[in-house]
Amino acid sequence: MTAEKHGGNSLSESLTDPDGILSSLFFSSLSVFLGLASAGVLMLFLGHSPAAVYRDLFSFAFRDVYNIADIFAKAAPLILTGLAFAFAFRAGLFNIGAQGQFYLGAVTSAACALSFPFLPSWLLLPLCAAASMAAGGLWGGMTGYFKARFNANEFLVSMMSTYVAVAIMDFLVRSPLREAKGEYPQTDVLAEASWIPSFLSGTRFHWGFFLALAAAGAAWVLLWKTTLGFRMRAVGKNRSAARFAGIREKNVFVSVFLVSGAFAGLAGFLEVNGVQHMVVQGFNPLLGAEGIGIAVLGGAHPLGVVLSALLFGALKVGGLLVTQTSSVPSSIIAILEGFVMLYVILSFYLRHRLRRACARRRAAAGGEAP
Amino acid sequence: MESPHTEALSLRGITKVFPGVLANDDVNLSARRGEILAILGENGAGKSTLVKILYGMYQPDSGTVSVNGRAVGIRSPKDALALGIGMIHQHFTLVPVHTVWENVVLGLDPSSGRPAGGKGAALELEKLGRRYGLEVDPFAVVADLSVGMQQKTEILKALYRSVSILVLDEPTAVLTPGEADNLFAFLREFRAAGNTVLFITHKLGEVMEIADRIEVLRGGRNAGSFLQGEVSERELAARMVGGDIPSVGETLVRPAGRDVLEVRDLWVRGGRGHHAVRGVSFTVRAGEILGIAGVSGNGQEELADCVCGLARQERGEIRLDGRILPREDPGAVFRAGVGYIPADRHREGLVLDMTVEENLVLKNLSAYSRKGFLREGAMRKNAERLIGEYGIRPPLPGSRTASLSGGNQQKVVAAREIEAGRKCIVAVQPTRGLDLGAAAHVHRMLAAARNEGRAVLLVSTELSEVVSLSDTVAVMSGGEIAGIFPRESADLRTIGLLMAGRKGEPS
Repeated sequence: MTAEKHGGNSLSESLTDPDGILSSLFFSSLSVFLGLASAGVLMLFLGHSPAAVYRDLFSFAFRDVYNIADIFAKAAPLILTGLAFAFAFRAGLFNIGAQGQFYLGAVTSAACALSFPFLPSWLLLPLCAAASMAAGGLWGGMTGYFKARFNANEFLVSMMSTYVAVAIMDFLVRSPLREAKGEYPQTDVLAEASWIPSFLSGTRFHWGFFLALAAAGAAWVLLWKTTLGFRMRAVGKNRSAARFAGIREKNVFVSVFLVSGAFAGLAGFLEVNGVQHMVVQGFNPLLGAEGIGIAVLGGAHPLGVVLSALLFGALKVGGLLVTQTSSVPSSIIAILEGFVMLYVILSFYLRHRLRRACARRRAAAGGEAP
Repeated sequence: MESPHTEALSLRGITKVFPGVLANDDVNLSARRGEILAILGENGAGKSTLVKILYGMYQPDSGTVSVNGRAVGIRSPKDALALGIGMIHQHFTLVPVHTVWENVVLGLDPSSGRPAGGKGAALELEKLGRRYGLEVDPFAVVADLSVGMQQKTEILKALYRSVSILVLDEPTAVLTPGEADNLFAFLREFRAAGNTVLFITHKLGEVMEIADRIEVLRGGRNAGSFLQGEVSERELAARMVGGDIPSVGETLVRPAGRDVLEVRDLWVRGGRGHHAVRGVSFTVRAGEILGIAGVSGNGQEELADCVCGLARQERGEIRLDGRILPREDPGAVFRAGVGYIPADRHREGLVLDMTVEENLVLKNLSAYSRKGFLREGAMRKNAERLIGEYGIRPPLPGSRTASLSGGNQQKVVAAREIEAGRKCIVAVQPTRGLDLGAAAHVHRMLAAARNEGRAVLLVSTELSEVVSLSDTVAVMSGGEIAGIFPRESADLRTIGLLMAGRKGEPS
């Protein structure tokens, strides 16, 4: 998947290689373009000019420093939930429960900040971050453990665990963590010492974005530079060969879900300590689902995840303003995102066909069955 | 040639080519009503392809199929059933969680006139069962039935569709001797009612017991057609394996080395719970290649899996250099110095989506890690060395393994395993799917390992491969070692008889 692995190939080969990075980029861009076009057709039906809507969307998104900064603020948690899915996907596992891991990370981080408001910032922030990662990681690790121990389906367990996590959060913001006023199911505002410092003052762009970037870097190192990553990828690509090679897949299941859950949990820290400064019942309810789409669009590669998250952040910022300032319904942005996902998934089929065609061509040229 | 009114089935000039393989080459075959025709042949003789054509699963490239004297085109199993052809596959096609009657009526043609409801079907099944000695409780869940009962269910499924030609593919492979006797009794009953049976097998004993006529296939061609009673087992065995004795190559006379791999009274269960390996004992010495010949499915792969820590060892012991080999721990067996070239390199030997250099350290990762990080420099050096020594093409450590040709993929597996098998190498079908050049290369690598004083256990269904490469030849049949010979005294006819399940000293 990385460029270096194709270092020996010529440029033309890497262009046509269905697994090459250029091909990934091409198909992702194509999917985005087709998604824009399809949503544009819907806009036509609604009596809006797609060209005008898209012009407004992008001019709004990049209108001023505040909006541009907002793109980064929106992208930061999306990078992390995207990584959560992508990382597990590399091991052939599906973590559908990023939403729940995110929520538990969020309430744990808030609980930390509310319990130790007297601590200095330099101590409280790492504490909150670590607590959120631990909470998300353990919650995710539970899925991995069930898979390893009982051969449970990780797709279902992780998905269902989100409902449990939502219930836990509901309980916490209604009873132990409820605001002092006791009016709404939400926490008090966190002590300012626990706020992630702003990167650009006057905007929502906070240093948490760079934490997300660091997480993407860490995911890349884990995947391609460590033995855990090696084992994960071997299990993900060929489970029986990994077993035959003596790799203990059960350990891999648990480790992968621990790390994957920690990514999603960290997103909770970013949102609570960086943007909301409190926990409101049921906030950001789509972060986990969008993370799946971002991971798929980004080819489950950390760099791709970062780029896709930025694109989705821009769509969110621009889309929100377009729908607020015109009669375009706000659901059009969700539909647009849905179309992009659809085309990305369709492109997998196309690439599969392409790969088979390549294999056939090679077989014909080499005269030997592959 | 039979007169058309008694001829139930005839295949004329059937040819079927798969990419690179001529599976059937102008095969002719006919079977009469009230006859059991045995189709006898080794692995790769084209038996399975032929019956799959008959059952509509493959289309022949040329040739005609006639049923009851009429040329027919069979495009799917549905067509075959409509013509009265039923098939009992080696691997059953039952839904385990459903009951017997539900399985029987599944996919039943509503115009067949047979009841599809529980009660009616059950009554009908009991009637059929009594008639043919195939009593199965129609309301039993298939998963709870023994293998023999499941096979009865399969047969009932075919009879329920009123078939008059029954094709059975190696039907006794999974049966106990008692169950096999029941099956034969049914087949005789079925024949007596004027029906036709095609019995695919590689076991001579069964052929002699049940067949009226025997058609031998070898290498995708007809290799002889005989009436029961006019042919001896020896003759059939010779027809089956062919008369041409493969070239023996240079004989390496070396003093017998120390015992490296000792297997004593080993019992292993196969995938379906039956004993696939039944009390096998042998010794491989340093500097020796022990080749195990045999038709596939006679326990060889389970034996190799068990030695390499992949299958549970029910009884017996395996020693390497006198010490008990770790059980059920492929990593530990590997570290103990046993390399394993598995039969299915795509599934078991390689992660095709990883690079060549990654696959070359797949099993030995701990030697290439420091504090959890990969030692990429060491991995690269290892890859460059092995690529050079084993002639892997293209010589790029970073290329995706899937982009290599089959021969070069096998070289990657062989390089890793021969390198790691300091003491012993277990190779199963190491040249399957390779062209001649690549196969010869793998053979040279194994011979070189032997000459360095390692013990090599070679398992292959290609008799010529075993005989030309091994110092000692063993034959496995029905999960047991049927015979062990030094290569000089290995006689192909004897081996053929043993492979076909004939025990004892053949005259």
